[in-house]
Amino acid sequence: MEKMLLVLKNEFRVVVLRKSFFLTLILVPLIGTVIFGIFGSIGGTDPTSAIGRIISSPEEVKPEGLVDQSGLIQSMLEGMEADLIQFPDEAAANQALQAGQIDSYYILPPDFLQSGEITYLRTDFNPLGGMDRSGNLFAVIRHNLLIDDPQLLERVNQPYNLEVTYTSQQPVRDSGSFLSFMVPYIVTMLFYMVILTSASMMLNSITTEKENRVMEVLMTSITPTQMLGGKIIALGLAGLLQTTVWMGYSYLVMMLSRSSVPELATFIITPSLLVWGMVFFLLGYAVYAALMSGVGALVPNLREASQATTIVIIPLVIPLFFINTLAEKPNGIISLVLSLFPLTSPITMMARLSTAIVPWWQLAISVALLAATAFFLIRAVAGMFRAQRLLSGQTFNLKLFFNALRGKA
Amino acid sequence: MSTIQVENIVKAFGSQRAVDGVSFEVNPGEIFGLLGPNGAGKTTTIRILLDIFKADSGRVSILGGAMTEEKKNRIGYLPEERGLYQEIKLEQCLTYLATLKGLSQAEATRRINVYLERFDLAQHRKKKLKELSKGMQQKAQLIVTLVHEPDVLIIDEPFSALDPVNTQMVKDLLLEERGKNRTIVLCTHQMHQVEELCDRIVLINQGKSVLYGGLEEIRRRFAGQDLLLRTPTALPAALPGVASYEHTNGGYHLMLSAGSDPQAVLAGLLSAGITVEQFEIAMPTMDEIFIRVVTGDSSNE
Repeated sequence: MEKMLLVLKNEFRVVVLRKSFFLTLILVPLIGTVIFGIFGSIGGTDPTSAIGRIISSPEEVKPEGLVDQSGLIQSMLEGMEADLIQFPDEAAANQALQAGQIDSYYILPPDFLQSGEITYLRTDFNPLGGMDRSGNLFAVIRHNLLIDDPQLLERVNQPYNLEVTYTSQQPVRDSGSFLSFMVPYIVTMLFYMVILTSASMMLNSITTEKENRVMEVLMTSITPTQMLGGKIIALGLAGLLQTTVWMGYSYLVMMLSRSSVPELATFIITPSLLVWGMVFFLLGYAVYAALMSGVGALVPNLREASQATTIVIIPLVIPLFFINTLAEKPNGIISLVLSLFPLTSPITMMARLSTAIVPWWQLAISVALLAATAFFLIRAVAGMFRAQRLLSGQTFNLKLFFNALRGKA
Repeated sequence: MSTIQVENIVKAFGSQRAVDGVSFEVNPGEIFGLLGPNGAGKTTTIRILLDIFKADSGRVSILGGAMTEEKKNRIGYLPEERGLYQEIKLEQCLTYLATLKGLSQAEATRRINVYLERFDLAQHRKKKLKELSKGMQQKAQLIVTLVHEPDVLIIDEPFSALDPVNTQMVKDLLLEERGKNRTIVLCTHQMHQVEELCDRIVLINQGKSVLYGGLEEIRRRFAGQDLLLRTPTALPAALPGVASYEHTNGGYHLMLSAGSDPQAVLAGLLSAGITVEQFEIAMPTMDEIFIRVVTGDSSNE
C-alpha cells in the first residue's frame, strides 16, 4: 500500500507538472471562451463582440417598394413606413429603384384577391436570402384584408397564448437560448475529451516506462498491481483536476457574465449535474484507463499501440455520431440504450442529464453496469500486468489483447 | 550458507529454451561472475533470480528462501539496458526510485546527496536525465543500485559507457562493497574485469552451465603444459622435458613434452647452470578460456 502511494504521488506530480498538461488546463477553457465569445454574439442581428461584428457585420438594408394595382392596401402598418414605401405606379417605383432609394419592389396586380399572385423585382440575384424580408408585405396584406375585423386580425396574428407549467424540475435546456441549446453538445465533447485524455495518459505512462527501460528497475522494487493501482488513481486524480478546473472556470465565467449576456440568465448548471459529472467521469475513466493499461501492458512501444487504441476508442466515439439525437431526443430509445451500455454510458448519460430529466432507475442501472465493468476490467488487466509480460517485448495483435483480457494468454 | 542458490532452473519462451538446467551458488561477501556470450541466457537467469520471471522448473533461493517484497528492498539491481526516467530531473528520479526501495524521503535525499558528490554529479542534480551523457546516466543508475545499501548486488555490464577513470572508480566501489561483506553477482563480457574482480564464476552457453567454479581453479584447469621462463642466460637448443620453446619479449615460452613435470623441468634448468629469474606455469587468460569453451575447443582442459 505504501509503495502504491509512492507510485501515485510520483505519477500525479510528473503529470500535473508537465508543460503540456498545464497548457491544456489553461488553453482549452480560454479557447472555449473565445469561440463562445464569437459565436455567441453573431447569432442575432446585433453582434455583441468586436470579433462578432467583424465576422457577422450587418449589411446595409434599403427599404422595399410596393405598387398596389388591386386597391387592397388602404393603410400601411404603423412603424413600417420606412421599410416598405408605397408608390402610386410602377414607373415611380422603377425610378426610385434606379435612383437607389429602394433595392426592390412588389407589384400587386388588379386581380390579386383572385389569383394571389405578386410580382417581385429586385436588382441583385440572391435566391437564398432574397425573400427573407417578405414578412413586411405579408403583415401589410393581412392587416388590410382584415382591417374591418380587429378581433379576427388579432387571432390570426396570435392564434393562441400558450402557458407551460412543468410538473417536475424544469430541464436545463432552453432552445431559445444559444448557450443552453449548446449544453448537451458541450458536455458530450467535454466528457469525450477528458476521458480520452486521461486514459491516453495511462497508455503513455506505461509505454514510456517500457521504452525508458525503467520498467525492469520498477519490477525489482514493486509489484505490477502496486504499479497499476498507483497509476490508475494518480491519472484519475489528474483528470478529475482537469475536469474540475474546466467546469469551475465555465461556471465562474457564466456567473460573472450573467448581467452582460442575457442568454446566461436562463442557463443553469445544477449541483446534481456536477456530482453526476464526477461519478461518470471517474467510472468512465476507470473503464478506459483499464483498457489502455491492457494495451500498454502488451505493446513494446507507443507506436505499436495505435491499432489497439483505435479499437478501444470506437465505443467512446459512438455518442459523438449520435450527438444530435442525444440533444433532440434525450429520452429516446437510442439515448437510452447508449446511456446504459457501459462503454458509451459515461458520455451519453451526461449528455442526457444536461438536457432532460433522466428517470432515477436508468441512472442507477447505468452506474451499476459501469461500475461492474470497471471492476471486472481492472481485475482482468491486473492479471495482464505480470512482470514477464511487461518485459517480454512480444509482437502485439488484437487476438492477443482480447485473449489476455479473458485471461487466456 | 550461500546467499543465492540456483538449482537446475529451466525457462522456455515458446519452443526456445532460454535457460536449460542452470545451477550455481553464490557465497556471502564474494564477487561472482555470471558469464556467457550474447543470447546465452544470462539476463533470463538474472530475471529469474530477481523473481521478475518465474522459472518453468527448478528452484531459486535468495537470502535464505524465496523472493519476498521485503527482500526486494535488500537487493540492488543494475540492468544492462539502463532504466531511468528521461523527462524528469536527476535528483527527483533518484529520490523516487530510492523511496521505492524502502528509504524515507529524508534518508533518500541525504544518501543521494552523498553519492552525487562522490560521482561528480552534484552540479547536474537539477538537469533532466536526457540532458546527461551516457556515462553520467550510467553513474546515476549505479546510485539507484547502491543507495539503499543492499545485501545483494546484481550488476549487469557496469562498465559500459564509462571512461577509464570512472571504470576504475566503479571497480574500487565494487571491491569496497565486497569489503562490507556484500554479495555481488557481476555479469560482464569484459574478461579482464572478471580476472581482476571475480572470486568465482559460472559460464553459461546456449542456456546451459558449461563452466563453474573458483577463478584460479578454472584457470589452472585450462593451464595445460606451458611454462613462462625469464632468464638472462641463452637457452641451449634442447632442454630435458621440453618439446619446444619460443623467445618472447623478455623471456621464453616453453612447451613441455607429454607427461613432463614442471618441477622436473625446473630442476633440469638449474642443474644445467641456467639462471632462473622467473619460472611460472603459463595461465590462460579468461578471454582465452571463454573463447575455448564457447567455441567448443576443449584442448588443454
